[in-house]
Amino acid sequence: MTITTAAVRPSSRFTSSAVRALLFVLKARALVVLVALLVLFSWLAPAFLTANNFQILTKHVAIAAILAIGMTFVVLTGGIDLSVGSVAGLAGMLVGYLLTRGISLGGSPHILPVTACVLIAIAVSLLVGLLNGWLVSKAGVAPFIATLGTLYVARGAALLISNGKTFPNLGGVAAGQKTGFPALGQTFFLGLSMPVWTMLVLFAFAVIIARKTPLGRHIYAVGGNERAARLAGIRVPLVKLFTYVAASLCAALVGLIIASQLEAAHPATGESFELNAIAAVVLGGTSLMGGRGSVTDSLLGACVIGVLSDGLVMLGVSQFWQMVIKGTVIILAVAIDQLQTRVQARFLPLLLSAGAGGAE
Amino acid sequence: MRAVRRLCSAAALLFFAITACHRPDTSKKLIVVIVPSQDNPFFKAEADAAAARARALGYRVRVDAHDDDAYRQDNLIDAAIASDAAAIILDNAGADSSVAAVQRATEARIPCFLIDREINTTGIAKAQIIADNHQGSVIVAEDFVTALGPSGGNYVELLGRESDTNAQVRTSGFHSVLDRRPSVVRVAAQSANWSQSEAFEKTETILQAHRDINGILAGNDTMALGALAAVKSSGRGGILISGFDGSPDAVAAIRAGDLRATALQPAVLIARLAIDEADEFLRTGSTQKPERQIIPCELVTQKDADDFQDFEKIR
Repeated sequence: MTITTAAVRPSSRFTSSAVRALLFVLKARALVVLVALLVLFSWLAPAFLTANNFQILTKHVAIAAILAIGMTFVVLTGGIDLSVGSVAGLAGMLVGYLLTRGISLGGSPHILPVTACVLIAIAVSLLVGLLNGWLVSKAGVAPFIATLGTLYVARGAALLISNGKTFPNLGGVAAGQKTGFPALGQTFFLGLSMPVWTMLVLFAFAVIIARKTPLGRHIYAVGGNERAARLAGIRVPLVKLFTYVAASLCAALVGLIIASQLEAAHPATGESFELNAIAAVVLGGTSLMGGRGSVTDSLLGACVIGVLSDGLVMLGVSQFWQMVIKGTVIILAVAIDQLQTRVQARFLPLLLSAGAGGAE
Repeated sequence: MRAVRRLCSAAALLFFAITACHRPDTSKKLIVVIVPSQDNPFFKAEADAAAARARALGYRVRVDAHDDDAYRQDNLIDAAIASDAAAIILDNAGADSSVAAVQRATEARIPCFLIDREINTTGIAKAQIIADNHQGSVIVAEDFVTALGPSGGNYVELLGRESDTNAQVRTSGFHSVLDRRPSVVRVAAQSANWSQSEAFEKTETILQAHRDINGILAGNDTMALGALAAVKSSGRGGILISGFDGSPDAVAAIRAGDLRATALQPAVLIARLAIDEADEFLRTGSTQKPERQIIPCELVTQKDADDFQDFEKIR
């Protein structure tokens, strides 16, 4: 975009700060939309602004946010992970199998402790992430294709584990079966549910990795300019591998939480979760081209998606309109992202000449 | 930039227009109806019937759909609890995977009334009102045998999704009748996952493989209609096709003489019963009925096709 001289009027404090305010609103759009939605739903839906609903709402947001946190790293490197929904389903089925059928050692089945079942399920799910990472970074398969492939493979594996059936009673009512699995998704601590705490812990880790560690800087560098990153001595394949494994870890946790909430593992769990996660990341403002965005933004994006879908359900808006509204919100988010880029480019000289640094 | 701004304001207006007209009247008690989907005629008829009855009895109604996704159903139950619903009418997302959600609603003192599909636990839901799939498949199979005549014949069976309880119940009902006739022979059986396009493709292939087919028995009407399309495109005549469900499209095809018969699931009747029992329970604390209630299906053939409309016997 060419910068016309007309745009750079004699600089005055007023226009400069107006532009600054506009840019701030555009940048914080996810937060603005979130606040607007909260106000709107509190006004329209009588039970929306209650402690009871807050617990439920945060739990739903946590599921979307956990997936979005993992997805953010992948997207920051310029990749995408379509397999997260299937990995969630696979993790749930694995834990369902281990809790109800156990592992057969020497002919007789042994039910392992719940913690062991959970850890094994996570470990096996991480294999999908490793496979994704290897395919993308070493085998040179485009991320979209590689993870589309593992989407089908993981879903098929989930269906194969039980031959399409549901593993029931994961709460452990059957005799001899270990109990305690429902705690993962159903217990409350200081008024917040376990999934929310899981999300917060993951979020803290993700923020520390992104901001404070070399790995975090490398992730941004790979997304910004992969060739330059490689020339600068960054081990690009390893960085990419990490992001896909992180996404799988988040997906596996979501699968386990859902299986724990339902006290049953269904092989179709998590279908189209990947799209929700991508939507949350994009809503937050992370660029699908990589290199730009943050975990915090994705969390806000996940909040918008979660609040929107819960609020619309509580209002009784028809399912079909819910889909239209959700799609519109996603498109708008990206359109505003473009607007922000243009405003920034256009008024950059003004901001610079006002003598207060860049727009960033 | 102007385009973006216009797009934004138009979308914001649309959003406010849609949501603003949904501000509910809180003086009435809320009944939440949760069905598998709203784009399937069966579930739509069921949801509409429940909603209409509940409104007539003075309730506020909200209809949600879980898309056969147990997690989405879980969220919808949560939303119903948060909205302080008086009762939940639920066509559930899986006999095993729905137990925890129904339990949670019941613990939140919201009575649940299950329709169309059962859960594998009794004593939690206030009612489980379901169509008699076994009896329905028996009457369809008996009519099928009658139509084939005393000389019998070869038939193809299209099964529903194998993991689905109703698919198993229906096929065993069919076989309880058909297997007693040595002259009626099953030459092929395939699952078409309840889907019309899958039934179409599988039937086309089966018709290529077998030249002597006298009938096709499908686990639901959608698959029967898919099979019908395949039979028509193959140009073969004299093949009887029967389905299950009593969908409006199938009833129309029966009226036209394209399909032989179907078993109509009384979805509308069941939905109304559930609302009536919910109302009774909310007023008196008891439904006055046993938890499990099994409602018989109705056989629809060409001569009485006009008696049925939208999953309901109207005459």
